[in-house]
Amino acid sequence: MTQLALGMLAVVLAAPVPVLLGRARFLTQVPRAAVVLWQAVAVAAVLAALGAGLAFAFALVTPHGRPGGLDLGAPRILAHLVVLAFTAVVAARLGWALASHAHGVRAMRRRHRELVDLLADGGSSAGSMTADPAQVRVLGEPVPLAYCVPARGAHRVVLSTGTLRELGAGELAAVLAHERAHVRARHDLVVELFTAMWIAFPHGVRSADALRHVRTLIELLADDAARQVAGAVPMARALVRLADARRESPGVALGAAPDATADALLRLDRLAADLSPHRALAAGVYAAAAAVFVLPTAMLALPWLVHALEVLR
Amino acid sequence: MAMGELERDVMMQLWAADSPRSVREVHAALAAERDLAYTTVMTVLDRLARKQLVTRSQDGRAYRYSPAYSRDELAAQAMASALHDAGTDRDAALLRFVDSVSPAEAATLRAALDQVERARSTKTSRPAPARRRRRSDSR
Repeated sequence: MTQLALGMLAVVLAAPVPVLLGRARFLTQVPRAAVVLWQAVAVAAVLAALGAGLAFAFALVTPHGRPGGLDLGAPRILAHLVVLAFTAVVAARLGWALASHAHGVRAMRRRHRELVDLLADGGSSAGSMTADPAQVRVLGEPVPLAYCVPARGAHRVVLSTGTLRELGAGELAAVLAHERAHVRARHDLVVELFTAMWIAFPHGVRSADALRHVRTLIELLADDAARQVAGAVPMARALVRLADARRESPGVALGAAPDATADALLRLDRLAADLSPHRALAAGVYAAAAAVFVLPTAMLALPWLVHALEVLR
Repeated sequence: MAMGELERDVMMQLWAADSPRSVREVHAALAAERDLAYTTVMTVLDRLARKQLVTRSQDGRAYRYSPAYSRDELAAQAMASALHDAGTDRDAALLRFVDSVSPAEAATLRAALDQVERARSTKTSRPAPARRRRRSDSR
């Protein structure tokens, strides 16, 4: 029974739950807790799926439903090993996706860092505006650019001359504070986890929803940090100016995400409102995250615990 | 950081040159402006070669170096990854401040910005959120 329950839990956590979380607008009120909840759901889905495989494998050799009552006939052993092997393959596939994605992303970042270090204008005017001028690079490009290249101890915040032309001092401060918030909180690791999970799951099963929503949530978090440094209005102005970058360079095929406008509107909504901690809501979301995370482990361990108690009695 | 600057200066020399340069030539050009060891230039060129930013060719007993790409080509490479379309795994390499939108969508955003400015201006008389509240909500 454990394997069935865990299997259903894995399916529920993999499909309907992310859809529901994606629709829950209240989660954008507590972005940090929401990011934690998304991660808990993702990790729990994986644990439940792997747990279902393990439980099924053991159920095959314990037909009486008791961990103690072993049946070691050859066909059962064989089936047990097949299921175990399948579970191991699923785990390995996920592990491989995480490792190879992490490696690939780091290689791309390193290459990009080398390029911007070589290409950056010397003695940038943005350098004086920031606490860590060594990490800011200004490319001599008319297209407004603003992004960070995350890396532990070697990150870069990249702007272009187009960005400096487009933004006032307050707005520039907001952009820098926003990017530094990403760097400081290692938001890249969260994005990496969800990207790797997206890669690991087979086409047809996977959905980019979790990745997309988590990306939006980390932008909200970085906006929150930026408004405390530079104010909500400069942050909002910088957002709108840079989103409208194509106006200045219609020839450039700028990467446009399908949800770019919806995301920007959500961020502007949050900037229009007062920052409020929504403590009760956050606590509830954290509690949900903890429960979701513990659930598959508890379900896997429960029958064994029950059995152990019976034996002891 | 010093190494990064040196790499940039060495690349500038190679880009400005019309033919492959030896370590000695690069060193001579750079040492005219500052105190710089020959071996440092050698190390920098070696690093650049490992990064595949310069190519090395044997000339007698010495190596000659030339840029693997023109500055414009490197700029195009950087721009290509900076502006890469969203929605692929490659996208996770960089965290962009905001994705760009079409002119029509930009008008929508500007209208929303007006609302932000109005909302915030009516709230300027209110005290700023307390420090402890800020920390709890966003970091």
